[in-house]
Amino acid sequence: MSDNKLARLMARRFSRRQFLRYSAATGVGVYLGAGTMSAWAQGVQGGTLTWLGHQEVAGLGPNDIGADVQAAVIFNILNPLVHVDHMAQTVPVLARSWQLGEDNLSYTFQLHEGVRFHDGSELTAEDVKYTFETYSQPGNTMAGRFNGMRDVTVVDRYTARVNMDTVNAEFLRRACEVPIVPKAYHESVGVDGFRTAPIGTGAFRIGEWIPAQSTELIAFPDHFRGAPQVDRIVLEVVPEPSVRYIALLTGDADASVWPIAVEDALELENDPDFLVVRTNWNSPRFIPLNNELPQLSDRRVRQAMMFALDRQRILDDLESGIGVVATSHLAPHNPFYNANVPLYPFDPERARSVLDGAGWVEGSDGIRSKDGLRLSFTCTTISGDQTRRPMAELSQLFLRAVGVEMQLAEAPVASILEGLRAGTLEASLFNWTMGSIVDPSPTSVLKSNGGDNFMRYNSAEMDALIDQGLSLVDPAARQPIYDRTQELFAEDMPALVLHYRQDLGVYSRRMVGVPEEQMMSTPVWFDGYKYSRG
Amino acid sequence: MSSYLTFRILKGLFVVVLISVLTFIIMRLMPGDPVYMLLGEGQIPITDAQIEAIRAKWGLDRPLPEQYFLWAGNLLRGDFGESLIRAGVPVRKMIFEAIPITALLNFYALAVAIVVAIPFGIAAAVRRNSWIDYASNVVSSLGIATPNFWLALMLIVLFALYVPRWFGDLPLIGRIPPFGLRSWQGWILPVIVIATEEMAVLMRITRGAVLELLPQDFVRTARSKGLAERRVLYRHVVSNAMLPVVTVIGFRIAFILSGTIIVENVFALPGIGRLFVDSVLRLDYQVVQSLVVVFAVLVVVINLLTDLVYALVDPRIRIS
Repeated sequence: MSDNKLARLMARRFSRRQFLRYSAATGVGVYLGAGTMSAWAQGVQGGTLTWLGHQEVAGLGPNDIGADVQAAVIFNILNPLVHVDHMAQTVPVLARSWQLGEDNLSYTFQLHEGVRFHDGSELTAEDVKYTFETYSQPGNTMAGRFNGMRDVTVVDRYTARVNMDTVNAEFLRRACEVPIVPKAYHESVGVDGFRTAPIGTGAFRIGEWIPAQSTELIAFPDHFRGAPQVDRIVLEVVPEPSVRYIALLTGDADASVWPIAVEDALELENDPDFLVVRTNWNSPRFIPLNNELPQLSDRRVRQAMMFALDRQRILDDLESGIGVVATSHLAPHNPFYNANVPLYPFDPERARSVLDGAGWVEGSDGIRSKDGLRLSFTCTTISGDQTRRPMAELSQLFLRAVGVEMQLAEAPVASILEGLRAGTLEASLFNWTMGSIVDPSPTSVLKSNGGDNFMRYNSAEMDALIDQGLSLVDPAARQPIYDRTQELFAEDMPALVLHYRQDLGVYSRRMVGVPEEQMMSTPVWFDGYKYSRG
Repeated sequence: MSSYLTFRILKGLFVVVLISVLTFIIMRLMPGDPVYMLLGEGQIPITDAQIEAIRAKWGLDRPLPEQYFLWAGNLLRGDFGESLIRAGVPVRKMIFEAIPITALLNFYALAVAIVVAIPFGIAAAVRRNSWIDYASNVVSSLGIATPNFWLALMLIVLFALYVPRWFGDLPLIGRIPPFGLRSWQGWILPVIVIATEEMAVLMRITRGAVLELLPQDFVRTARSKGLAERRVLYRHVVSNAMLPVVTVIGFRIAFILSGTIIVENVFALPGIGRLFVDSVLRLDYQVVQSLVVVFAVLVVVINLLTDLVYALVDPRIRIS
């Protein structure tokens, strides 16, 4: 969409000239977001924070936390037992403390006492048992987080014990993040009823909610961590990134939950009125290859393609250099990152010699073949994907230079994911998490029977490592396992990993209390009660 | 007359049923699975069995004909079903919440366009090759050629950002927000954007229709029998020129609910266009199918009404 680009350019040129002058002249007060209260004038207490999202908030229940924009709202209404915070630390929320059983097969949680739901009822261990046992049932999108759990025992009013069938190292940071619902109310409305009218222990209760337009959160003064600083938080749905940018400039919004365009965010990085924080992605941009395809099944071919790609140039030219070239399936900021895995350098000569060595001979059209099989495959990118399609085009040129033909096609995202899972597609280009900062295990993508095994990758060693890694809970014991998964990935190269991008989170200084250093940006939104209007 | 109406209504019903079947089939032919839309990108480990359980819960595992008749049967009883993505929310509620926004937006825009375009179109034709003709030509060419998307963003930058900085609040209007409909000022820019395009089309049609009629015999006759020029123009020329204009307006109304997708997206208005696109992208079958049926009914009804209005406007057309 060249219109989009042009408009953004014009908006940007304006901001360069005008913005400092404007901000100095008008300070914070030129206009408060439509419908905001006037408490801002007094300084810190009360008022409204306006956040921007890019897509509708379709539901407000525990099953809906998968989408960032929804999570930003839900975790201010509902609370989990523990959270993974913006520095990737596990922090207690409703749980005061927890102990792991000796065999790693149980977790005992002590709850804060006197925690009130929005309807006045008190949080007890019964609510924890009910939540875990309800949302682990098949049919819930959260069910996968509870893998390995048997049941929950109510030890006493404020103590709950989770019993496991199998050890699951991810459990604490996955399942225990599912927010706790009040049993009595949830039973009366059901899963579907709850997601349209949630009641939780959060610092805010739900106000006016128009899914495609805005979601209003109203302060809940009896919140167990103390009353929130502001009276309201409103999340407005603004799909167009350049309009979100303009709304930040005009003061109609205080922060954007979903990123604005990188060029726009870079503009604001040197602006005293805005805080711009860079955070790393957990998911690399990558080209998943169908490893069962005859022409791609030899790992030397896949290694050669890694040498053929100038990945730094792809990052520099197409992502403004905001990110870091990938070595393997974990991002460099991951605590389990293996810095000893060598980076594939850009070396087309080496790519050619590896392919020569593997028996692929260049034909008259410059494309290699072996035993009558052309070294050619199709990379299907997401329809209308303006960001990643150019990466595929640039990669196509690099691969062509060493005699590999990558043809390009387009399809909707859902059909790409399904086609890769079923093995009917040959390759694509998107990003996907293969082990995150929350937990390093690449289970669903790299395990041969994983639900997201887009590469149809099948390695007995990888399968064993993944199982072993999930059976251990102590990080020190797990480290050597994930050191090896990263090495193995780099040797097998089931997918061509390009780079890990960074996000530029943009917060107006009108919103006070935002952490200046973040490893993850999503949890920043879960702490709405901490922020005030400056 | 009544047999004509019955025939048209039956034909319309047939069209609607055919469209509902086609939409149902096309949605299912679209590869992909709405379940994955809910899962996010690789954050949650999920097994095939768990995915199947979700499909079963939504009834997506049943045979296709059964799914169709279930849905169509409910539709006949006025029950549009429930959204897959917004589980628990009736589709009818989603549609009825979105319709007023899109309908009002288009109503205002069309009103503005008619009020501006028809007088200017007539003036441009009567004073052919005058400055007013050239001006209306330039304006309508620009209106047709300017992409909605670009115009919308430019207006936002100008009126939500520049103007308040340079001049402060506008007299009478106050402040125009960059998005949303929280205040009445929020309507101004989206209405202007939609009206610009419609204005351009209407102005051209009006001018063309009037120009075509001016040299006609009956106009000369009217003049020669001594009628005032004004009366000739309004009584004989303009009333006849309205026929193509009514056609175009009817055509626009038929597409009123689906024609504002881009504007709704840029200005963040939760209207029917955005609901439709969001639902297609997320494979929310129930919503897409129901919306298409609503659109189909609308187009059939408006077409019928337009034909009836023809008869009223043009005495040469008699319905039989």
